[in-house]
Amino acid sequence: MRISLQWLSEYVDLPAPEELARRLTAVGLEVEAVERTGQGLDGVVAARILSSVKHPDAEKLSVTSVDRGDGRPLQVVCGARNYQVGDLVPLATVGTTLPGGTRISKAKLRGVESFGMLCSARELGLSEDASGLLILPPDAVPGTPIATALKLDDVLFEVNVTPNRPDALSHLGIAREVAAATGTPLKRPAAAPREGGPPAAEAVKVRIEAPEKCARYAARVVEGVTIGPSPLWLQRRLERCGIRAISNVVDVTNLVLLELGHPLHAFDLDKVAGAEIVVRAARPGERMTTLDGKERVLDPDDLVIADRDRSSALAGVMGGGDSEISAGTRRVLVESAWFQPATVRRTAKRHGLHTEASHRFERGADPGMVTAALDRCAALIAELAGGTVRPGVVDAQARPAPRTTVRLRWKRPGQLLGLEVAAGDIRRILGGLGFTERDSDGEGATWEVPSWRVDVTIEEDLVEELTRTLGYQVIPETLPRLALDTPAIAPRLEAQARTRVALEGHGFREVVSYAFVPPQDLEAFEPGVKPVALKNPISAELAVMRTSVVPSLLRTAAFNRRQGRDTSRLYELASAFWPRAGADRDPPAVERPVVAAVLTGRRSPLSWATTGEPSDFHDLKGAVESVLAALGVEAVFEQAGRAVAWLHPRAAALVRSSDGARLGALGEIHPRVALAFDLPRGVLACELDAAALLAASRLVPGYRPIPRLPAVLRDLAVVVDEPVAAAAVTALVREEPLVEEVTLFDVYRGAPLAGGRKSLALAIRYRASDRTLTDAEADAAHARIVERLTRAVGAQLRA
Amino acid sequence: MADLLGQLESLAMGAREASASAADERALEELRVRFLGKKGELSAVLRGMGALPAGERPRVGEVANRVRDQVEALLAARKASLAGAALEAELSGPALDVTLPGRHLAPRGGRHPVTQVREAIVGVFQRLGYEVTDGPEIELDWYNFEALNIPADHPARDMQDTFYVDEATLGPGEQKGDVVLRTHTSPVQIRAMLRAGKPPIRVICPGRVYRSDYDMTHSPMFHQVEGLCVDEGITFADLKGTLAAFARAFFGPGTRTRFRPSYFPFVEPGAEVDVSCTICGGTGKKDGKRCGTCKETGWLEVLGAGMVHPRLLANVGYDPARHTGFAFGMGVERMAMLRFGIDDLRLFFENDLRFLEQF
Repeated sequence: MRISLQWLSEYVDLPAPEELARRLTAVGLEVEAVERTGQGLDGVVAARILSSVKHPDAEKLSVTSVDRGDGRPLQVVCGARNYQVGDLVPLATVGTTLPGGTRISKAKLRGVESFGMLCSARELGLSEDASGLLILPPDAVPGTPIATALKLDDVLFEVNVTPNRPDALSHLGIAREVAAATGTPLKRPAAAPREGGPPAAEAVKVRIEAPEKCARYAARVVEGVTIGPSPLWLQRRLERCGIRAISNVVDVTNLVLLELGHPLHAFDLDKVAGAEIVVRAARPGERMTTLDGKERVLDPDDLVIADRDRSSALAGVMGGGDSEISAGTRRVLVESAWFQPATVRRTAKRHGLHTEASHRFERGADPGMVTAALDRCAALIAELAGGTVRPGVVDAQARPAPRTTVRLRWKRPGQLLGLEVAAGDIRRILGGLGFTERDSDGEGATWEVPSWRVDVTIEEDLVEELTRTLGYQVIPETLPRLALDTPAIAPRLEAQARTRVALEGHGFREVVSYAFVPPQDLEAFEPGVKPVALKNPISAELAVMRTSVVPSLLRTAAFNRRQGRDTSRLYELASAFWPRAGADRDPPAVERPVVAAVLTGRRSPLSWATTGEPSDFHDLKGAVESVLAALGVEAVFEQAGRAVAWLHPRAAALVRSSDGARLGALGEIHPRVALAFDLPRGVLACELDAAALLAASRLVPGYRPIPRLPAVLRDLAVVVDEPVAAAAVTALVREEPLVEEVTLFDVYRGAPLAGGRKSLALAIRYRASDRTLTDAEADAAHARIVERLTRAVGAQLRA
Repeated sequence: MADLLGQLESLAMGAREASASAADERALEELRVRFLGKKGELSAVLRGMGALPAGERPRVGEVANRVRDQVEALLAARKASLAGAALEAELSGPALDVTLPGRHLAPRGGRHPVTQVREAIVGVFQRLGYEVTDGPEIELDWYNFEALNIPADHPARDMQDTFYVDEATLGPGEQKGDVVLRTHTSPVQIRAMLRAGKPPIRVICPGRVYRSDYDMTHSPMFHQVEGLCVDEGITFADLKGTLAAFARAFFGPGTRTRFRPSYFPFVEPGAEVDVSCTICGGTGKKDGKRCGTCKETGWLEVLGAGMVHPRLLANVGYDPARHTGFAFGMGVERMAMLRFGIDDLRLFFENDLRFLEQF
């Protein structure tokens, strides 16, 4: 809400602007910006035209002599004709730069010297009027700076009015707060119009057919008006507050809106068919053209203002073109009503309209302002557009504003704030804000809420009134007494922390990406997937909730490749989203926290000390193994084949816990996925299910004694067929009870081995827990292993 | 006897000269054999002792032992000296190039700045005894709005541009009102209170939130941290003390806080909380110039807070006559921008490694 301090000062005495801004902010009306107007008109002063003669050499120019207050007449050549000798006009003196950028210098126009320029309103940037010189009020003093003479030097506040405070959406409303905060009296604008002629009730009838949506509808009639432009002061007030001036009658309704906060509407009464106003629900399929020129199909939930034949306004939102005030309007009907906030809001939203009127009605207009605003408006129309206000208000459901009362216990502020507020202070503060004490006793008092404070309904609201007046600084600082045990760190958070450390130790860097992704990303990733979609996405690129976090990481990897970073290791801990699994509607979707990682490019950073090999499957697997180890998860890796749509079937693994639960998948991304994400072949990715990991985890490791008896070490190299999995070989080795550990330390292919064969070199540690193992025992165990391998996988001992 | 003593004397002298010129350990070993070995010179002299009268033998034996000791000491000294020289020679050799970069088998990993700041915020509250909790990001309207005293058709809904979920894509089942992407972490307040069943409750809820807004200072997804404390006798003073303690712990010991009245539908009374500017220390001036971070005000708005609205307590079955509580919330990105001096919110979600690697 834009507030003009010049205007505001008509209702209350103001402190300096900086102090005022501080005070308003302190009571919860945050002043977000301060703007000063009337700047840039230095050098323009009021001047009186002493004489004016025709230019000797130019048909359209005059040579004037003007007095700018220093007693030395100045010669100025002028092209306008709308003035008379004796008028006061703006003079831009030599050296001035006008708002449009024109620089005034001493000039010769057709041989006649000119020492300045007489200006139109447009040249001063005040309005669009360029029809002639701006004629100043006769009481202006020559030599006065134009900003002062025209009261242009105003200060404008941009006040952030929170949605609960519709009462502060006007100059009077802000003035009320200033008066309460500074303890100065409030001056209300005069209201009552002078009436004449036959009663208004004979000119128009009002009927409310939808009383649940319109609590009150009052109207006045002003006859014999002449539509024309508003006076400059009025136009300026509106423009400073961001409203375009249109015509005197319309401008007055807007002026009263900004002044008193109550939205009004003016109809051309001669266009109201049947001289009847009906407040009713829109009929199914009914159409109306609103003032913005759009034809709208109405909804039966819309409340309209209609005449006998058709609707002519969307109640509380926008008028219609049919009954609009126009140049020929003679009789005006002014509407002042109170519409149900939710109705106005639904209609405004439905039609995509947000107007000054709907903004106030949907927050709650002051029911006590209905007739006051109407009177003020009618009086101003009569004053500025001529005409007569017909006697009386045509008031359907005339009734006093409903009165809300709220009880406040004297103790309650102390209980809620930790600061006792004395009864005397409570009375002073609430009284100053317009609350009326109805009755009181030793326990508390009942307060009648002023009609404009629609936000105050419960005791806590009154406590807030106290705190915002006292200021939060008076409340002490304490800490809550600890009534709870110190909470343990939840296992899921512990697991999360360990997962991060493990991945970061492997060089992975966390990214944070949007949870909504382009649908085609998911389709390329997992053809046929049906993600949860947004109704109103920001763009098609952010339209569906990701079912996997890997696509986001692939996008990020591709983005960084475009920035010249071929090597990256990325991870993200976030949720993947799925349609709900069963009938459970709370929560409404399945959210599966996952651990996702992507690896591209070199294994090690470019360096003199490392080789430049590309990363491969086992680099990623190493990182995954570290995560599993950090969480104490016993897991197995198995060939995934084509079970994971986004992985290359020849380099894809499933991770399962020792009891078979699926923990996730890893591998090289599918060539189709690489292509879709503009990535090269060989990019590696994994996604692990955080909940499954947690279920399989052992965050507190069990202790095993350090062996005291010596071990026997033996190496073994066996040649097997290529398809024989390393894990199958090591598992066979472990079947031997004396084996404590087996480490696969080399895999060799090539001469002299036959094609399709590979050699696996194993370091085996034998140990018995109860005795020192002899060489003979170890040799026997070793032999059993060789035999077992030969039998089971056709292994040959490598020479 | 004199003859034997003379031999011992010359043996000692010979050993002194020979050891002094021994070039390495092997030469020293040869000397040890030559002088002290079984067939060495000393043994040869001692063999001559048998010819001496018995009375003279002790005297010669005594000298022979002394000579043996001398020779051993000479050899040991020479050995030590040779080792010292060898070590010195090794130490004096050409040094390696310590300016060559260290070896990194993998790049340096790390955490996103938003995560770092979130962990710092949550850490402060964990030390204050708050339990970390969370709720769903795809949320029912009831939790995100209704239960938080933001009814349908209420202008407070305009405070947050909401993403709505297409219910047809949610799978089978009847709807329980609109489904939204949560616009704040406040619904976790409701879930936490319902889960706890009754006070006391003290939780901190970090999480992702979504609003339909996108520019330099707005992201459609960002992070909030929400705090909630409900019990008997919880006051606004407790809220002030808690947030003042947080501000000092997070921003630094001298940080001041300021509460201004404001409006959030789920609290009453409500406040916006400012901290003294972290850049200019609250003076509004930095190096004699206008402080751009706080726009010369000396204050930075960082939190929203207030006393839990009695309607919320009633909505979860708590007794507002008996229990009071406070709640607060803050934007993690805002805190991160202040902490690191970042001016464009979008950088956090672009995930350019050149940005992320700075943290």
